[in-house]
Amino acid sequence: MTTGLPISTILLITGFLLALIGIWGMLTHRNILRIIIGFAVMDTGLHLVMVATGYITLGTAPIIDKALSKAEAASRAIDPIPSALVVTAIVIGLSVTAVMLAYAIRLYAAKKTLSIDAFTESKW
Amino acid sequence: MMRHVLVAIVVVLFGLIFARMVGGYVELEALRPLAEQYVTRAPVELGTPNIITGILITYRGFDTLGEVAVLFMVAASVGLLLKKDDAKASSSKASSSKASGATANVSGPKTSAAKPVLAKTEAARAAAARTAAAKANASARAATASAVAVKSAKVAEAAEDDEAPRREPSEIVRTGTEVLLPLIFTFGAYVIVNGHLSAGGGFQGGAIVASGVMLMLLARPGSTLNVALLSIIESFAGVFYVGLGILGLILAGGFLDPRFLPKGEFGAFISAGAIPLISALLGIKVGAELSVIIDRFRS
Amino acid sequence: MVELLFHPLNIFLLGLGGGFVIPLLYRLGKPWLHAGFFIALIGIVAVSGVSFAGLLQGGPTIEVLTAVGPPPLSINLRFGLWEGFFTFGVNLVALLGALHLWDRLKGNYGALLLYLILVMGIDGMVMTRDLFNLFVFLEIVSIATYGLLGLERNAAAMAAAFKYIMATVIASTLFLLGTVLLYYVTGTLNIDALIAARAEIAGPIGTTALLMVLACLIVELKPFPANGWGLDVYETAPSGIASMVSVGVSAGVFFALMKLLPLFQDQLGIIAVAGGISFLFSNLIGCKQTKVQRLLGYSSISQMGLMMLALTLLTEIGATASIPLVVGGLFVNHLLAKAGLFWLAGVLRQDDVDARTSLSGRPLLLGLLAMFMVAIAGLPPFPGFWAKWELVLQLTSAGKLPWIAVILTGSLLEAAYMFNWFVRAMRPSDARAEAGPDTVALLPVYGIALLLVGAGYLAARLSGVASLWIFAPLLTGVVLYALDRLPGRVKNVLMLLAVALVGSWLAESATGIAWLFAVLLLAGSLVIAAASLYRDDPRPGYFPMLAILLLSIPALLRSSTSLEFFFSWEIVTLASCFLIAKGRGAGPHVLTFLLFSLLSAFFLLAGFAGIASVSGTTSLSALLTAGPDATTALVLLGIGFLIKAGAIGVHVWLPGAYSEADDDFTAMLSAVVSKVAIFGLLTGTYLAIRSDAALELAHGMAWVGMLTTIAGALMALRQTDFKRLLAYSSMSQLGYIVTAIALMSHLGWVTALYLVANHMMVKGILFLAIAGIILRTGTRQFGETGGLARAMPVTFILFLIAIVSMSGLPPLMGFGGKWLLLSAMTDKGWNFLAAAGLIATFLGFLYMIRLVAGLFFGARQPGQADVRELPVALLVPQALLVVGILVLSLYPKLLMDPVSAAIDPQFASTLVWEGMSLYTIYGYWNPTPVMIGAVVVAAILGLVAWLLYRGGVGRSGNLARFYAYYRRVIELAMPPVATQFWDGVTDFTLATAATFRQVYTGNGQTYAMYVLFYFLAIYLASTGPAGFWIGG
Repeated sequence: MTTGLPISTILLITGFLLALIGIWGMLTHRNILRIIIGFAVMDTGLHLVMVATGYITLGTAPIIDKALSKAEAASRAIDPIPSALVVTAIVIGLSVTAVMLAYAIRLYAAKKTLSIDAFTESKW
Repeated sequence: MMRHVLVAIVVVLFGLIFARMVGGYVELEALRPLAEQYVTRAPVELGTPNIITGILITYRGFDTLGEVAVLFMVAASVGLLLKKDDAKASSSKASSSKASGATANVSGPKTSAAKPVLAKTEAARAAAARTAAAKANASARAATASAVAVKSAKVAEAAEDDEAPRREPSEIVRTGTEVLLPLIFTFGAYVIVNGHLSAGGGFQGGAIVASGVMLMLLARPGSTLNVALLSIIESFAGVFYVGLGILGLILAGGFLDPRFLPKGEFGAFISAGAIPLISALLGIKVGAELSVIIDRFRS
Repeated sequence: MVELLFHPLNIFLLGLGGGFVIPLLYRLGKPWLHAGFFIALIGIVAVSGVSFAGLLQGGPTIEVLTAVGPPPLSINLRFGLWEGFFTFGVNLVALLGALHLWDRLKGNYGALLLYLILVMGIDGMVMTRDLFNLFVFLEIVSIATYGLLGLERNAAAMAAAFKYIMATVIASTLFLLGTVLLYYVTGTLNIDALIAARAEIAGPIGTTALLMVLACLIVELKPFPANGWGLDVYETAPSGIASMVSVGVSAGVFFALMKLLPLFQDQLGIIAVAGGISFLFSNLIGCKQTKVQRLLGYSSISQMGLMMLALTLLTEIGATASIPLVVGGLFVNHLLAKAGLFWLAGVLRQDDVDARTSLSGRPLLLGLLAMFMVAIAGLPPFPGFWAKWELVLQLTSAGKLPWIAVILTGSLLEAAYMFNWFVRAMRPSDARAEAGPDTVALLPVYGIALLLVGAGYLAARLSGVASLWIFAPLLTGVVLYALDRLPGRVKNVLMLLAVALVGSWLAESATGIAWLFAVLLLAGSLVIAAASLYRDDPRPGYFPMLAILLLSIPALLRSSTSLEFFFSWEIVTLASCFLIAKGRGAGPHVLTFLLFSLLSAFFLLAGFAGIASVSGTTSLSALLTAGPDATTALVLLGIGFLIKAGAIGVHVWLPGAYSEADDDFTAMLSAVVSKVAIFGLLTGTYLAIRSDAALELAHGMAWVGMLTTIAGALMALRQTDFKRLLAYSSMSQLGYIVTAIALMSHLGWVTALYLVANHMMVKGILFLAIAGIILRTGTRQFGETGGLARAMPVTFILFLIAIVSMSGLPPLMGFGGKWLLLSAMTDKGWNFLAAAGLIATFLGFLYMIRLVAGLFFGARQPGQADVRELPVALLVPQALLVVGILVLSLYPKLLMDPVSAAIDPQFASTLVWEGMSLYTIYGYWNPTPVMIGAVVVAAILGLVAWLLYRGGVGRSGNLARFYAYYRRVIELAMPPVATQFWDGVTDFTLATAATFRQVYTGNGQTYAMYVLFYFLAIYLASTGPAGFWIGG
């Protein structure tokens, strides 16, 4: 803790930076797969942010075992909710990625290219 | 160029917003009332040491059920999208594009070179990404056959095309698989059934199992997955899950209330009401679903 | 037990359980699969329906608890009236949608389970009271949509789906982050708890989190300009899926927004602006679109924008009591009509508005199409009408006038492109339509049409105007439509009977001037409608529509509130529009007619709203008592009625509509329907009398009327087509009436009514005669007629009498009217107007001479030797009208007495002519010198014109050449300014649309960037530049 920054703040910054990298990747790369990867990076970054917001100073995992008794749970456990939410968020992120990839395959089959610029049939 | 400037503006502005949020962030010093309620009530009320599992499966069980539905739908969607009905057309197109394949991107192998097994759900996601990348880059593969995973996937594809000779996976891969697979499956099963006691649970364990399945499919391209059986298992797990929820409604406090089974001894393997049961169903369902999804990407 | 069986939780048990079981059923066989799917879906509909019905009967809001413990701890859901309304509506449409989509769903278990869970997910979005659970349901809905979009496998559809995924994924990521950060700030995810802790949501994190959630919801509703991805999907998806995205998914998202609105109290303005921009621009760009499904996409987006706008504005001004009618009405209107349109487009396999698939041979389909479009355009009797009325009323009373302009402009644009499609679908096709779609495929469309009608009735009940009489015209129309297979003449007779019976019942309750109008117009319309007996073709749909039109007029006249008036007004407009559309060459003119009618209606709407906000009541009697504040309202109403009366500048709709409608219907339009606008003007003028600005405005209106008369006469002179000449003549004559009304004195009004009666009978005769001449000669050109006096002597005599009466020559009725007018003008000191009136009289003489001479005198055309007298069916009504003219000319008291009686009480206090009875006026004014003066002036002018003409070299004394010469003069002197102006407006609109739609590049990545920019814009709008600074 010599940096002076609390641990969750560091996580927060890391997560946000990842998200920014993801956004950059999503918007600059023309290849659909890279776009999908960009999304995955962004998503992961934001998951980090979410987990970080649940941290309680000097807290520990909210699992009652030798390290954490029922009695001190209320004072030493981190907030379990963000962790629980992130599990759901991860699964949903995975699902979306899978669907996007399936579409990428179909798009490639249709035009033999993965460049997003090639798929502008409908406009206006 | 214009686009890059615009994107840079977007990223910078988001960066500023994020920075402002970081600036306004204060690490929490203590649990808020609701969280404290969870932490104190879950062990007592549900008898589960792992509070997150308690929240996932009970308090926010409705979310989890929805999440299961999401995965279930993804399996169906991917199946719908990659249905074989025009496989012939796509394979002929694939061969016709071999010549121009150089334009395709080669980032796929990089992703697939990532660590094969992670003990988190991201593993499954990365896996899915990998398989798809491999498939989509089919034409670029000949030039970039650097990663084992891609190579073997290519073999599978090539077998369909009858253009390239089938290449067996290398000795290392085969042996590694034989050693690792039982371990992975056992580990997955452990994570699933101990979800209420320690870190883990149905989703995590299911993802581990699926990653084992993926390893198997990659290492032995010839092997087939009994998708029909898996989807039946998946369906039954889902139906039972809803059924357990209804039992909770009838026998205990509400829909998805696990307390219709005895709480048992705190911390024991068989305890915490129906939570382990639901957890196991979840694990089976997630494992089966992810495996089916992976298999669909393979074809 | 029943409660348990239909508990709202069962929606999720059926949805998820059914979804999970479907793969198993698939293994058992397709019948099992299909049965299982429908049991689950119907179960969902039944559960929501029964629960909703229970709530409607006063049952308590159902709280659905899950798992262990009370709400903040566990997720809870709520099923109240609003939730019931939304879920039941969406579920019902989804069930019908499944039938529509059955070809693609059948046997495809993946699609079936996606569809089922999609429906459940929408219900979940509506019902859940937990923010994160809302996210989960949003994702369920999204992923189901992604999967279902895969049903269409062509490249364009796949690309569109991918763009859709990219955009919505960004949106939902924002939602997710926002939700978790809100939890960080408040420590709860429960929506009710969040609302209670609204004050705590502040600081950089809280504000940003809130805006992220808001941005996601707005983006999911596809706001302009960040909505290209949505449009692409609407364009390329199967119609059934597109409709689910449009009405189902959007409904879920919209409800989420509505539910979270208390959190966004500070952002109401932003949401309203977002909605307003989407509404306006989608409708603008839609004008340039010809692909049917994309067109519907623009319309869908605009409707969502309107709902956002309505919801936030009503919340902002505190008119929460109106939200059920407005938002509920708009929602159900969009839900049913848009789904119907998408399905219809799908059934017809029509991709492009211009496609050669014509519906002209299929009245039923055309009827359905018309019905859905009427609903979308917010016209009666559908829920959108009642909703828009209430919305405009509320906004006016809150002084939100710019918003009203946005709403009305957008609505007009939307009507323009929707009806453009309709007009194109209607035009006769070269290729005979191949076998129509089978009845089964249309069943869902019929179902939704029925629901729409029911919804319209309920909305009317909610507005408090659902009574038998107001729906009587429509009901009569429906009954007659059921008999539409009978022979044409039988239908005609039945229609006459129905109009006579129901019409007199309706007219009975009218009072004062309205009663007078009702009696006059009803009698006139019966006589003219009887003339239709001359045709013996079946004319499918004509008679029911005519009955609706003719009955709506007395219904309008007996209205006691402005809402009732406006309702009937719109029905009159619509019915005339559809009847004009039956004309052979009416195509483009129908659209012009409709758009100008709507323009007029929107002015009226704004005007009535203005009065209601001044007087606090919608009662029409408020017109009589409104104070000087009502000047704006008066101007708006005046403009509205003048547009409809075909005043100069906005007359461009008139000639086309009049000359291209069926010949006998033109008689009705000119003689009867045009008088509705006159009545409106008359009523509206009460306001003028009360308002301060009355005199200047009245003077202006008098000039508008007089200029209309002169311009109409000049343009009539230019015509070589005699039906068109009469159309312009109508315009000209209506101008006189407008001037008379503008006099705003007892004398002026008596004149106006006198002229109304005269014009009705005269134009009835003339147009019917013309109808007969066209029937006999087959031409409308002066060049191809002539010398008909000997061939049809009876017609000639009747025609001549009518012309004399119209010209204002003694001794017939028109004479009285004309001198009353001239006298009243000079009396008021409006001498220039009187002079202009003299010129107008002269021009009138000119074209009337032309008409009579061109048709009846001169040499017979070769090949017309065997032209006979008109059919009796046409002669008898003309004769009856002539009798009317003669009677009223000989016994003016018959009309004057009731007119005087009707006007006096209302004018008593402000009347210039107070205390002086009509007979005194007759005695006071000596008509003969006035008229002699007028005729002399006309004769001199005529002589001058003739001399001018003869002054040129080599000009013979031929009358036809005389007119040809002056035609050229007039054409040079009077370029078609109005037409050019309106063409310019159209071109400008289309050019603007073409410019703005450039934002839709078709590139998914660009669209993703738009979405991010959209968030940034909302953020900036909400926090200001300080939001981008760490310390800000």
